[in-house]
Amino acid sequence: MSICIQVENLGFSYGPQAQILKNLSFEISAGTFLSIAGPNGAGKTTLLNLLSGLLKPASGSIEIDSKPINSYSVRRLAKKIAVVRQEFVPVFEFSAAQVVSMARTPYLGALAFETDADRKAVAEALEMTDTTRFADRPLGHLSGGERQQIFIARALAQQTPMLLLDEPTSFLDMKHQVGIYDLLKKMQIEKQKTIVSVTHDINLAAQYSDMILLLSADGSYDFGTTQEILTTERIERVFGVQTLSAQIGQTKFFFPLGKFTKSQSSPPGF
Amino acid sequence: MTDLLTPRSLITKIVLCLAALVIVMFVCSLVGTQKISLSAVFAGPGDKPGQNTDYDIFVRVRIPRIILAALVGAALAASGVALQAILRNPLAEPYILGISSGAALGVMTAALAGVSWSFLGGSPMAGMAFLFAIGTVWLVWFTGHLAGGSTVTSLLLAGVVINAFFSAVIMLMTSLIDSEQLRSTIMWLMGSIGEKDFPTLLASAIFIIAGIAGLFTISQKLNVLAFGAGEAQSLGVNPRKITLVAFALASFITAVAVGLSGLVGFVGLVVPHSVRLIFGPDHRQLLPTSALLGAAFVVICDTIARTIISPAQLPVGVITAIIGGPVFLVLLSRYSKKVGTLR
Repeated sequence: MSICIQVENLGFSYGPQAQILKNLSFEISAGTFLSIAGPNGAGKTTLLNLLSGLLKPASGSIEIDSKPINSYSVRRLAKKIAVVRQEFVPVFEFSAAQVVSMARTPYLGALAFETDADRKAVAEALEMTDTTRFADRPLGHLSGGERQQIFIARALAQQTPMLLLDEPTSFLDMKHQVGIYDLLKKMQIEKQKTIVSVTHDINLAAQYSDMILLLSADGSYDFGTTQEILTTERIERVFGVQTLSAQIGQTKFFFPLGKFTKSQSSPPGF
Repeated sequence: MTDLLTPRSLITKIVLCLAALVIVMFVCSLVGTQKISLSAVFAGPGDKPGQNTDYDIFVRVRIPRIILAALVGAALAASGVALQAILRNPLAEPYILGISSGAALGVMTAALAGVSWSFLGGSPMAGMAFLFAIGTVWLVWFTGHLAGGSTVTSLLLAGVVINAFFSAVIMLMTSLIDSEQLRSTIMWLMGSIGEKDFPTLLASAIFIIAGIAGLFTISQKLNVLAFGAGEAQSLGVNPRKITLVAFALASFITAVAVGLSGLVGFVGLVVPHSVRLIFGPDHRQLLPTSALLGAAFVVICDTIARTIISPAQLPVGVITAIIGGPVFLVLLSRYSKKVGTLR
């Protein structure tokens, strides 16, 4: 598989006293599922915004398919990378289908009307995300989970080889969390898409991703396969929280230990 | 998935709105203090000037005035649509960005300085209004940029602050103006559709139609921009470029409208909101249909303004404000939570 994202010595700061990322280097092959995790303020969303071209690096470089990211026009980059940010309700009452159809913007001609191919891509994305049934409803009338499904459908309708997602399940219940990660995994396997997902949930990352980038608040980082990176020692160092781990099937799960949790007084059954 | 726009459905809606506008213009041209006979109008001007007064009133007075009202309405409504999209705020309209107070300051400056030149055949007041409106737009953009880039909040705040400052200067100037000038100035400030000659109307129509056509070419990108700059960029739209183009075109057509008619408020608020309720939020149809129905709206308001206390006339801005004020309050209560949580 070819390298699709290559980051070298990347640095970014929001001011002299707010260095977020320092000398960050990693690369992933096309078709990889990468999770980006770390404590609040470690720069996860900033990195996602740098990878999507929304922010410019202060130092270092980002290459997308072996070309510097700044060599892409906004339109060309939108044909490479689709982004799902944390869900929100727009002020105007666009229907779910209208929102998904906006994914076709980089492909529209001068008159800016969707062609049959565009409509097909929108219908397929709605089908894949199981959202066709509420496609005609205003986005603001949907639940948080349904809205997030619509934004993922929009990213799919954009038909890009790479998907970047910023905490796609942060406000969702367990069923929707699993549903969305199952869908992303399906996209990775069936459509060979590269998935880069920012998450706070180490266990979802452990279950679904191939690689993980663990960012620390001090600017250091760990990058590798989920099996080699996710250890109780490293999680304690990065997050400052003790965990217990348990291997279930091929996945190692982590359980945080608070000072006053029941698990401190009665040993867990693992 | 039935509501995606097709060229056919867009054309159908434009034709329907155009038909509604033509009917409104025709009916309103027959209404006025002086009753006129349609058969007399169609009989032509007659052999001598002044022989057929019905024809003269219809062709030389009412038609130019109705065309002027339609142009002003189309410009203000289209401008409102564009500004609401780029500011992601359904309460935004040409006046919230300080264009009104800028134009008013131009009028007061002209009145005090006794400027004698004209613009588009209009009064010096109109010319100065135009120049000051354009200057205000630049000032709002520049100040907003200094305050924090071309973000939604910084532009809105810049508009509010400049509005407040210009209003204070206008109050100072009002205290210096003589009573004869004061009345005409106040009437103008309240918005008044007067009679203009055909060359003025033609030039204004070209400017306004070109501006609206320019906005239409970026209307699909306005849909995307309504989701925010980050979302727009991810979908292949350069948010800064589109914001700048939309802001410039909206300000230009507003300035032409202000130069023609003074300060006709709330059109950019009431019309896009009503059209959104009928046709939905897609800017590809919202923009042209709002322009056409905005034209019809101001024609109706002007007809009410020139007949309701006949033979005296009200400034059309009074009628649009009486309708627009309550609509603004309804919108404010409906959207304040949403707007407050925008990223």
